[in-house]
Amino acid sequence: MAAAKKLMSVRRDWRERDVRVVLAALIIAVATVATIALFASQLQRTLVSSASSFLAADRQLEAENGRPVPEPWITEAMDRGLETGRMVEFSTMVFGSDAFQLVSVKAVSNEYPLRGELEIQGPSEGSRVQVQNGPAPGEVWINPRLLRLLDIQVGDTLEVGSRKLTVSGLVLREPDGGFSLSALAPRVMMHVDDVASTGVLQEGSRVKYVYLFAGEEASLECYYQWLQPQLEPSHEWEGVRDGETFSRSLDRAESFLLLGGSLAVLLAAVAVAVASRQYALSQRDTVALLKTLGLGSSGIGRLYLKRLGLWGVTGMVGGLLVALPLFWILTRLLSEALERPVPFQLDSAALTPALLTAVVSLFAFAYPPIRRLRNVPAMRVLRSQPGETGREALPDMLIAIVAVFGLVWLYAGEVSLVISLLGGLALLLGALGVLGWVLVATLRKVRGGGHAWRLALVGLYRHRRASLSQIAVFAMTLMLATTLILVRTSLLDDWQAQLPDDAPNHFLINIAPDAVDEVAAYWEERGQPLDQLYPMVRGRFTELNGQPVKEVVSKDQRVGALNRELNLTWMPSLPADNVIVEGSWFEEGQTDGVSVEADLAAALDLALGDELTFTIGSDKVNATVTSIRTVQWDSMKPNFYMAFPPGGALTNMPATWITSFHLPRDRKSELNEFSRRFPTVSLLEIDNIIERIQEIVRQVTQAIEAILVLILAAALVVMAAVVSATLQDRQREGALLRTLGGRQSLLVRSTMLEFALLGGFAGILGVAAAEAAVWALQFRMFEGAFSWHWQVVLPIPIISAVVLSLFGRWQLRPVLSVSPMLLLRRLE
Amino acid sequence: MQTTNSDSQRPMLRVENLTHRVSLETDTLTILKAVSLEINRGESVAIVGRSGSGKTTLLGLLAGLDTPTEGTVELDGAIISRLSEDERAQLRAHRVGFVFQSFQLLPALTALENVMLPLELAGMEAPEKRARELLERVGLGERLTHTPRQLSGGEQQRVAIARAFASDPAILFADEPTGNLDNRTGQEISDLLMALNQEQGTTLVMVTHDEQLAARCSRQFHIEAGELTEPVAQVELAH
Repeated sequence: MAAAKKLMSVRRDWRERDVRVVLAALIIAVATVATIALFASQLQRTLVSSASSFLAADRQLEAENGRPVPEPWITEAMDRGLETGRMVEFSTMVFGSDAFQLVSVKAVSNEYPLRGELEIQGPSEGSRVQVQNGPAPGEVWINPRLLRLLDIQVGDTLEVGSRKLTVSGLVLREPDGGFSLSALAPRVMMHVDDVASTGVLQEGSRVKYVYLFAGEEASLECYYQWLQPQLEPSHEWEGVRDGETFSRSLDRAESFLLLGGSLAVLLAAVAVAVASRQYALSQRDTVALLKTLGLGSSGIGRLYLKRLGLWGVTGMVGGLLVALPLFWILTRLLSEALERPVPFQLDSAALTPALLTAVVSLFAFAYPPIRRLRNVPAMRVLRSQPGETGREALPDMLIAIVAVFGLVWLYAGEVSLVISLLGGLALLLGALGVLGWVLVATLRKVRGGGHAWRLALVGLYRHRRASLSQIAVFAMTLMLATTLILVRTSLLDDWQAQLPDDAPNHFLINIAPDAVDEVAAYWEERGQPLDQLYPMVRGRFTELNGQPVKEVVSKDQRVGALNRELNLTWMPSLPADNVIVEGSWFEEGQTDGVSVEADLAAALDLALGDELTFTIGSDKVNATVTSIRTVQWDSMKPNFYMAFPPGGALTNMPATWITSFHLPRDRKSELNEFSRRFPTVSLLEIDNIIERIQEIVRQVTQAIEAILVLILAAALVVMAAVVSATLQDRQREGALLRTLGGRQSLLVRSTMLEFALLGGFAGILGVAAAEAAVWALQFRMFEGAFSWHWQVVLPIPIISAVVLSLFGRWQLRPVLSVSPMLLLRRLE
Repeated sequence: MQTTNSDSQRPMLRVENLTHRVSLETDTLTILKAVSLEINRGESVAIVGRSGSGKTTLLGLLAGLDTPTEGTVELDGAIISRLSEDERAQLRAHRVGFVFQSFQLLPALTALENVMLPLELAGMEAPEKRARELLERVGLGERLTHTPRQLSGGEQQRVAIARAFASDPAILFADEPTGNLDNRTGQEISDLLMALNQEQGTTLVMVTHDEQLAARCSRQFHIEAGELTEPVAQVELAH
C-alpha cells in the first residue's frame, strides 16, 4: 500500500503547516512537562537529602530525659537492616592551658554522620576537608573560636572532666549543625567511647542521647511503626520534614514548577486543539476524494487514527529528546550549587504525566475534529458543502476541557490550582462575551474607505466570529503565560525579601539582662546594629484549661513543642513579619493574655479564650489566648510560639535575651573579640547555611527561568497556530485588494492595525484573567499575600499588540512579494 | 455487495422518478424533479445543461455520492439508496470511476501514486504495474514521479483519467472534464477519454455544457430547471 502508506507518513505530514504546529505543540508539551517532572523529582531528592544531612541521618531519635534508650530498640533497627549511630550531647566546662570555657560537647560514635559531611581543618594550617567520620578516641575537634578563648593550638591537649584529649582538628561545619538553639556554647566534638572516662556525666546530669538511623524509606517507616508504641513523651522521633527551615523555599519552587507544568499542559492542549481543527478542515477535500474512490468511513477513521498515533509517538519521542538534555543541564546547574549533589537520576515515574499529556491532548483535542472527518460527504468532490458551524464541536470541547483539567489535577494534585485556572478562564470568556457584543454594536457603524484605521475596524467587524475566537485563544494563552510570569515574580520577590543579602546570619543568645544595652551598643558602634532584642524565658506548656495538657491532647496531636521547653517571650509590638489571624494584638498597657503561633494552635486545637498554664522552674504562669498569629520561621530572626505583653506574667521570671544580626563574612574575626568581651553570651553562626540556601535559590531560579522560556515557546506555538489558521483567507483578501487597486502601504497598515487591535484586546483580557487566577493561587498555593504587579502587567497588552501586528505584517509577505495574479492562482 | 453481473442485458443505470430537494432556512428548493432514465452497458451519455440546471446534483446521485429525497437509482443492479455508506463506497471502489473538472488529485502524491491509490483501496494486485501502464497509455510515462503542482492542467487531467480507468470500472462519471482547460487541450483530453472508453468498453456518463463534447456521445439528455427532457437520438440531432 505504497500510496496509502505515504498518505499517512509523518514525513509527508511534516510538510503541512497545521501538522507541524500540532507536532511542535506536542513536543513542547512533552518536553516541558517531562523536564519539570524530572527536575521536580530531582529537587525533591535534593530536599530530602539536604534535610537528611541537617539531621546527619534520615531519622533521629532524641531522648531528653537524660537516659539512653533501651538497647533492644537499637538492635531491632540493625536487625531491620538500618544503619544506626549514636551521639551524646551535654554542656560542660573544659580547660585549656590556663583558661576554662563552657562548651557544648557532642560525643559521636564511629558511624556519625550517616548522612552529610563534616567540614574540618586539620592540624597543619591546611585547607578545609570534608570527612564522613568524627574524631577518633582520645582526640577532640573544636570550634576555631576556642583556640583564642582557651589560648591553645591544634595539637595541644584539652581537659574534659578528668580526661585529657588531644585537639586534632577544627570543626568548621557539622551536617546537623542546623538552627537548634541548644548548641549555645562553642562546640567540642569527641568520640562517644571517651565519655565515660571523663566522669562528667553523673546521675541527673542534663544530657541528651541522640540516635541516628538511615536506610530505605519503607524500612524506616516500618521500624517507626514498631517503635512508636514504646516511645515516652520525652522521646522525640524526627524526620526530614519536621526540622524544615529551608525546605519551604524549595517546596514553593516545586509548587511553581508544577504550576508551570500544568500551564504547559493547558497551552499544549490549546495549540493542539486549534491546529488539529484547522488540519481537519484542510483534510475535507482529501477525505471526500478518498470516499469517492471507495474508502468507507471506517477506513477513513482508521487512516486518521493511525496518523494520530504516529503524531503521538513523534511528539513523545521528540519531547523526550528535548527534555532529557535539558534536565541534565538543569541538574548540573543545581549540583553546582550543592556541596553534596544528589546523583543525576532518571525517575521514570516522572515521565508518566508527560506521556499522558501527549495522549490526552491528542485524544481529547485533536481526535474529535478528525473523527468528524468521517462525516464529510463524498459529494464534496463535485460541489463544496456547508462546513461545520462549530456547534457540533461544543460537546467535544466540554469533554476535552474536563479531560485536560483532570490531567492538571492529577499532575499537580492541587484542586485549588484547577479551580483558580478554571475561574480565570470563565472570567475571561465572560469578558469576551461582553467584548463581542460591544464589537458588534459599535463596529457595525464604521464604514470602509481608503483609510487604514477604518479598513482595520471594518476588517475586525467583517471577521467578527474569527476575530472573537482569535481573541479568545490569544487571551487564554496570554493569561496562562502571564500567570506564570506573575507567580515567578512574586516568588522571586518573596525569596529576595526572605533572604536579602543582609539577612541576619548570626544569633546572640544568653545575653544577661544587665548586658543587653552594652551588647547593643557594641555592635551599633561597629556599624552592624542588632535586630530587635527579645527576652527569652524557658518554660513548659503543661496545662490547658486547668487539665494536664498531655491528657487533654490526643497522642496523635502531640507535637514536639509539648515535649520540650518552649522559649517564651514578651514583646511590645507585633514583629513586622508576623500576622494576626484571630483575635487582636495586646493593647497599650495590657498585661494579660498570650499570643499563640497559628500552626501550633491548629495542631493542639487551641482557640481564643483558652487558658494556658506554663511551668517555669517551679513557678506556674497562667494566660488566656488573646490572639493567634502566623510566624515567618525562615526569616532568620528570633521567632516564638508564645508571646506575652510587656509587664505581664513573664516579666519577673528569669530571662536572658536573644537577637540576630548580619555580619559580613570578611569581618568574622571580630567575633573573637566580642566573645572575649562578653564571654557569657553565646553565638550561633548560621552564615554558612544561609549562603547555601541563597545559592540553591539562585540555581532554582535559573531552572524556573528556563521553564518559563519553554512555556513562552509553547505560547508562541499557540499564536502561530491561530494566525496560520486564517492565513489563506487573509492572503486571498490581500491579493484581491491589490488586484482591485489597493496600495501596498494601505494594505500593510490596515492589516497591522487590525492585528494590533486583536493583540491589544487579547492582552487586556488575558492580563485581567491572569491577575484573577494569581489572586486565587497566591492564597492557596503560595501562601503569600496578593499584590498587583503593574510593572509586569501593563506592558503585556502593548507587547501583545506589537507582536501580533508584526505577525500580521509577516503573514502579508507573500501577498506583497508576488503579483496578485500569481497569488490568486496559487491560492485556488 | 448486492451487485450481480449475470444478467448482461440489464441496464447499467436505471433511474426512476428521482427527485431531490434541499432545505433552506426559509423554504425548500427542488433541484431535480421526477427524473427517469436508463443507460445501457457500453453506452456513452452526455447530460447537457446550463449552470444551476441541476446536472452536477444528478451526477452525484447517479454515482452514489449522495442519496435522493425520492426515487431510486439502480447502479449495476444495486439500488443505491438501500446501501449503507460503506457499501456504496465498496461499490464505487470496484465498479465506478470518476473524472472531475478540477482534477482532484492529491497534491502530496506523485502522478504514479495518485493512480495507484484507487487500486490499493480496492485491494487489487500489482497496483504499481497497472498504474505505470495506464500513465504510459495517457502519455505521461516520463512524468511518473511528478507531483500535481509540477504538471500542467492538461497533464493533471490525464493523470486523473488514468486514475479513473485504473480500477477497470464498469461505469465512468465525468463532471465537466474539459471545463478547466483551453480548447486545444480540451480537445486532446476528450479524444483520450473517448478512446479509452472505447478500448475498455466502459459505460460513460458525462456532465458538460460543451456541445461539441456532448455530440461525441451516443446519447444526450438535456436538463433544465431540474427536469430532464427526452433523450434525442444522435441522428435526429444532426439534422
